[in-house]
Amino acid sequence: MDPLIVTQALNVVYGVTTLALLVLGLAVIFGLLGVLNIAHGEFIMTGAYCAYVTQANGWPFLAALPLALIICGALGFVVERGLIRPLYARPFDTLVATWGLSLLLRKLTEAIFGMGFYNVDVPLPGTVALLGTDYPAYRLVLIAISGAVLIGLFVWFRISRTGTRIKAMVGNRELAEAVGLPVRRLATYTFVIGTCLAGLAGVLIAPLVPVQPFMGLDYVLKTFFVLVVGGLGTVMGVLSGAAVIGGLDSVVSAAIDATYGYLTVLVVAILFLWLKPRGLFARS
Amino acid sequence: MAQQILATTRRDFLGGAMGGIALGLAPGLIGSAQAADDFKIGLFYAQSGPASLFGPTQLASAQLAVDEVNKAGGIMGRQIKLFPTDAGGPPADTTKSAVRLLLEDKVDLLIGSHDSATREALVATIKSKVPYIYTPVYEGGECSYNTYVIADTPEQQIRPSVTWMMQERKARSFYLIGDDYVWPRKSNEHAKKYIADNGGKIVNEEYVPFGAPNKFEEAVTRIKSAKPDAVLITLVGADNVNFNRTFAGFGLDKEIARLSLLLEENTLKGIGADGSNNLFSCMSYYANAPGEANKKFKDAYFAKFGDKAPQLSIIGTDCYAGVNCAKALVEKAQGTNARALMTAANGLTFNSAAGPWTMYGQHVDKTMYIAGCKGTEFEIIKTIEHVKHGEACKAA
Repeated sequence: MDPLIVTQALNVVYGVTTLALLVLGLAVIFGLLGVLNIAHGEFIMTGAYCAYVTQANGWPFLAALPLALIICGALGFVVERGLIRPLYARPFDTLVATWGLSLLLRKLTEAIFGMGFYNVDVPLPGTVALLGTDYPAYRLVLIAISGAVLIGLFVWFRISRTGTRIKAMVGNRELAEAVGLPVRRLATYTFVIGTCLAGLAGVLIAPLVPVQPFMGLDYVLKTFFVLVVGGLGTVMGVLSGAAVIGGLDSVVSAAIDATYGYLTVLVVAILFLWLKPRGLFARS
Repeated sequence: MAQQILATTRRDFLGGAMGGIALGLAPGLIGSAQAADDFKIGLFYAQSGPASLFGPTQLASAQLAVDEVNKAGGIMGRQIKLFPTDAGGPPADTTKSAVRLLLEDKVDLLIGSHDSATREALVATIKSKVPYIYTPVYEGGECSYNTYVIADTPEQQIRPSVTWMMQERKARSFYLIGDDYVWPRKSNEHAKKYIADNGGKIVNEEYVPFGAPNKFEEAVTRIKSAKPDAVLITLVGADNVNFNRTFAGFGLDKEIARLSLLLEENTLKGIGADGSNNLFSCMSYYANAPGEANKKFKDAYFAKFGDKAPQLSIIGTDCYAGVNCAKALVEKAQGTNARALMTAANGLTFNSAAGPWTMYGQHVDKTMYIAGCKGTEFEIIKTIEHVKHGEACKAA
């Protein structure tokens, strides 16, 4: 097959899976808790800075993963307890509160690291010959990791006790509380899982982009679009949303150019908000 | 009833708004009464938005020049007072700030370090009422009355670097990629002419939306299949970083050379050592450029800002030159009369981080450097002295 088409097809797969990875944290927080987390991009940014700090200290790249989990987890814990807990069931208020949080995180990062760009070395440089074309090795690994995280979360949510309890809490909070489930603690868990997933995505994306205080803004819009299209509260929703948004963006960018790719994403998001506001796979 | 409520509310609102306007004006009036002797310069630079990574060095470099001028007696005995103003947002926001600077703060002069879309909007707003000095590298063609340009022009930046790529690096075919706004499109028009002059050809030309969260896998794949000898990049800031990291990630850096028209120290730091192989830049200033003037400038810069000094780059040093240009210009014209300034600008000499510059035809001739990237540092490969600006502004 034409290597150009193979590479562009791999680009589509890469676009969809990395977008799914970037959206997971938001899908958990917005999809399950109903918190419109505008600071999602800033948690991704925090993860990316963890990768930078790891490199600056001469630690191996993989050390960034536990670092990001600890920092984003602790941050998520504090934010849920201090900021979000009084605001559940008030979606608009969570939007304003997390918007303020996003400004705070951005300015804090600016104060600590400055405005400048940083770069994180690609942990697996070079390309791999695949289906008659050369594709960057790290991007292939990223596709595999994204898939694994997605499947892992899906399975865990299906079979683990905590997953079942979270589902009970999301389904009917009062009833879950009445049968003795610790719903407040479950909500904290869920929020922390969401921020940890965002931090994880940030670490993994860091070697491919400039690490800078404004980078979170790049992800907020697209990740919300994914949930608009896919629907809230299901793994299928995340997958289908990422497939539509990331896939269309990549396919149109490959076939025409990036301007039309961006335009298509915006038009599709508007059409969904207008005609199918609950998305493709909304929680029943 | 409802109408009455509405009317009352509107009256209250209007009253409140008028009060607000009065309050807003009052400090301005008092301020101007207190400091009538200051020479007020409005400095447009990026406090917000995608260009804001340049902000710290823009402000620091301008501040250094202001300190030096004030220590030496100011402009015609008047101390400079700087009005730092954000120009990082949409042009319409910046023009609103310009109106405020002109009417309320009554600035004597404006200096702008921002993109060309904003420059065009500002020129239309200022209407030559106060002198306006434009500093960063640009696409040429700015000849508006009472406007003074100290930026690198296409004849200085694009012609020598494209010619060098073709003659000494044997590039015959070019792929053009840039952000979609006036600077990349007009710069590419110049580049196409220079490439044609040297008998080269354009393989493709593409633009990505400016300010959108762009990714470049698809464009890089297109370049890979088009197999040009070189890529001419007019992407800015984060897009420039993203593109170059993706380009090298796909392993194209070995075979295809890249020439970026806005590549300075901040951007190169983002691109990193694993993205900067076979990547070139052409500017009139690099932080490690040779010469006494730069050494003196850097000593003063680091003496003032210490270890926390913002990353030096041409975007900042041009602001430094802008303030010095303002002093020389106003003192030679003995005031801010537009006609006197336009006359004074011809043959005007002022100080920059690269040594003294002389202005004629509202632009400046310069020494240009072609640099290659060695990791995250620039290595000057070729120095071209006295490059004419080539702009054909008719003398006013």
